[in-house]
Amino acid sequence: MKNKINIYLIEFAINAILRQKYKSLFVAVVFILLTFLLTSVFFITNSIKYELNSTVEALPEIIIQKTEAGRVQNIDVAEVDRILAVKGVSDAYARVWGYYYFENAGVNFSIVGVDKFENQYKNSLAKIVDRFDFGEADSPLMIIGKGVHESMKKNYYKEYFNFIKSDGTLKKVTIAGVFDGDTQLESNDMIVMSKETFREIFNMPQTKATDIVVKVANSSEIATVVSKLKLIYPNSSIITKESIKVSYQNIFNYKSGLFLALFIISLFTFFIVIYDKVSGLSSEEKREVGILKAIGWRVDDVLKEKFYEAAIISLFSYIVGVGLAMAFVYLFQAPILRDIFVGYSELKPSFELPFVFDIQTLFLVFFLSVPIYIAATIIPSWRVATLEADEVIR
Amino acid sequence: MIELKHITKIYELNRADRVVALNDVSLSIKEGVVLVLKGASGSGKSSILSLIAALSKPTSGEVIVDGKKISKLSDNFASVYRRDNIGFVFQKYNLIPNLSVRDNILLPLVPLNLDAKDAEEKLALVMEMFHIAHKANAIVKNLSGGEQQRVAIARANINNPKIILADEPTANLDEKLSLSFIEILKELKSLNKTIVIATHDPLFFNLDFVDSVVEIHNGIVR
Amino acid sequence: MLLSPEVLALLILNVIFFLFAIIAFILSVKIFLKWDLNSTSQAQYKLEKQSFLTATIIKYIFIIKVPLFLFFIFTLDKISGLLTGAMCAAGVVNATSYGTYLILLKILNLYLFAYWLALHNEDMKHEHQPYTKMKFGIFIAAFFLLMTEIILEGVMFKAIDIEKVVDCCGAIYSSSANSYISVIFRLKASLLLVLFYGNFLLIVIFYFLKKRYIFALSNAFFIIISLITLISFFGTYIYQLPTHHCPFCFLQKDYYYIGYFIYIFLFIGTFYGLLSGFLRTSEKEISKNYKIALLFNFLYVILLTSYPILFYIKNGVWL
Repeated sequence: MKNKINIYLIEFAINAILRQKYKSLFVAVVFILLTFLLTSVFFITNSIKYELNSTVEALPEIIIQKTEAGRVQNIDVAEVDRILAVKGVSDAYARVWGYYYFENAGVNFSIVGVDKFENQYKNSLAKIVDRFDFGEADSPLMIIGKGVHESMKKNYYKEYFNFIKSDGTLKKVTIAGVFDGDTQLESNDMIVMSKETFREIFNMPQTKATDIVVKVANSSEIATVVSKLKLIYPNSSIITKESIKVSYQNIFNYKSGLFLALFIISLFTFFIVIYDKVSGLSSEEKREVGILKAIGWRVDDVLKEKFYEAAIISLFSYIVGVGLAMAFVYLFQAPILRDIFVGYSELKPSFELPFVFDIQTLFLVFFLSVPIYIAATIIPSWRVATLEADEVIR
Repeated sequence: MIELKHITKIYELNRADRVVALNDVSLSIKEGVVLVLKGASGSGKSSILSLIAALSKPTSGEVIVDGKKISKLSDNFASVYRRDNIGFVFQKYNLIPNLSVRDNILLPLVPLNLDAKDAEEKLALVMEMFHIAHKANAIVKNLSGGEQQRVAIARANINNPKIILADEPTANLDEKLSLSFIEILKELKSLNKTIVIATHDPLFFNLDFVDSVVEIHNGIVR
Repeated sequence: MLLSPEVLALLILNVIFFLFAIIAFILSVKIFLKWDLNSTSQAQYKLEKQSFLTATIIKYIFIIKVPLFLFFIFTLDKISGLLTGAMCAAGVVNATSYGTYLILLKILNLYLFAYWLALHNEDMKHEHQPYTKMKFGIFIAAFFLLMTEIILEGVMFKAIDIEKVVDCCGAIYSSSANSYISVIFRLKASLLLVLFYGNFLLIVIFYFLKKRYIFALSNAFFIIISLITLISFFGTYIYQLPTHHCPFCFLQKDYYYIGYFIYIFLFIGTFYGLLSGFLRTSEKEISKNYKIALLFNFLYVILLTSYPILFYIKNGVWL
């Protein structure tokens, strides 16, 4: 009986919110904006984290790059055999790949050269090689990612593309197909062609490769293999998957940190704005509370009613804000906002944010908005609840 | 039984300016009595109503209702006392203009968290009694003065209080409506309620059911 | 320093608690020293108004603190993914020297704030407000505990070192561990179970005898013995592993979040049990407190007992 929800009080609170149209609308809009922004940012970061993690997972365990004067140089293909001799190494491949800057669209494509008769270091690549043909040297073919396809189409390259070779002449490569990768971040800007065509475009000799990737059968032996390789190639840089993961995380955390700083400021502003708005009592509101007290509402009843008002308006705004954020991020792919987090979006063709739902994000946003709003209403509510009824209804 | 013992009420407008609203007023009102407080505006009669309703505290003296010192109640318990014992019909009615008649009359019940059935029963009873049921869903600000007053009376009676206080009830009514208000008063008296009316309307001074008329002049009972 | 959005949220709310608690503390001191309900002075009148603000602030802090405590545990669980070696919140709690004290303090504060609210409710029922001085006096003490908790929480998150390898719960809650926790594993399970069920039986007996103080006292013991048996005996049946004793892992999804129910039952049951002894109120209220205490303690016992019983029915052996 005592703990029953007071329907009449809820009804009254809703009425009171509606009566203060402009004030309530203002508060709701500010609140929705805040929860919307917060939730969007958390959704985007969750999605990107997921994408990054899957991309990194798909990377080879160890990559060996030859460096000279701190710059990465092409490595000899023959080194593969030396590496294969190291105990613990299960396989090694010489990769040819690079970036091609497409000036008209202002984007970078990453081009991977493959050889049909070699093993591929990645499942996704093996699938492509199985399915497609790369043609002959004089009429080459290529397979392109979705994003590449989009940017080429925009520039009227629908069936083929002219690469500018290092000697300035053009090389025409026909588009044989478009593929979907495991993750969008990975495949979106990728072009796959034969090693021969690649070497021709970038003028890379047959004996050279971009880098060598190493597979290790037992992942706990990676550290040992790395130290052995370090002995063989003291002047090369040897990159492990773990270290890439860490550096990705660092870039990412840096951006989140930047955001968090902004975000504390916006929460503080939120608190002040709400406090200001709620404490600015019109004489009509004061009179109303005076009436209620005069007809037998206790201070506690008025406080409870104010709490109901705050709870209703904040829960409503929270739900709307979260709902909007969901639509914004996953339906509309978060225009503008995600560019802040996907720093290289200008350079890389765009990709889609995968749907990653984490219930904790909802709790997090809840605790960052609703209690702060209610806190901001405590003192104004108390002020109005303890008004002298006799003075305000005169 | 309402007793006012040596009540003095001083309003301090600011440091230099103070108004003595009541000066050593003693008054006792027996149960079931209709009492009219007569006096010009500013004579202090409204202050007496406000003290009986525990809406304000005396500067000195005591207000005792049914043996209970209500002039010393804390804010919360003053409200509880009003809720259970007092039906106040204010001069300006003090309704919430944007709410419906129904919602206005229900206001005193809201914090009680009654079952819908009980609340609707009480509501129907007072709306019937004060002839406002046909306007139940009308918005109060669209009603005429007389109708608004009936809403105010219905709201004052929804908790079936023992004491009815009315402050200048006929000030905003024409003669016909004033007479129908008097009919309502008769009805309330027949329910054995104690009724205190503060007014300067001569209409009230010679009514047969009024038990006594007390004149107040400059904060002093004559 | 660990600054994930979750931790930041906890810290921001702590800042709000901190500011509001200071307001409530200052007012409490004033009320505690100068409260005089018989006085009709303006000062007393102002104090009465301020007492509403103080009570509202304390209510607010408690109402947010309860779900926030669950969120705190949830956050620790999530952080455990970042710490090498940690499998659940236990690893994070143990990652710094403050964790254990922080958890204990948080639980103590929950009991204290809940008690404060019960006292406040009782106080507001009477015209002469018999407990006003007492409740604000209690808040003055609770304020310092709350401040300690807030500071400790900040210090703990600052001290967590992501690079450092921490113990997992399997190592912390094992009989070979070199800590005070390992002491309870030297006690025999049979002895603990006798104590556990015996204690519950006492609660039932005193419920029927209506002995307030002994009832409350047996509830106080029940908190301790319940936690010990939970770690040393019942936990192993929840995990179905004779060596796993962690009191945090069963809060995770893998065990259907059953831990939250276990702790909520225990908290409600023992809180009302203690309340029946510590709060002088009407007969009706006391009997209500008795009933709630018995009901939730009973639910707790049933829930925990069902794990070994079901295990035995399924497998035909005890762990």
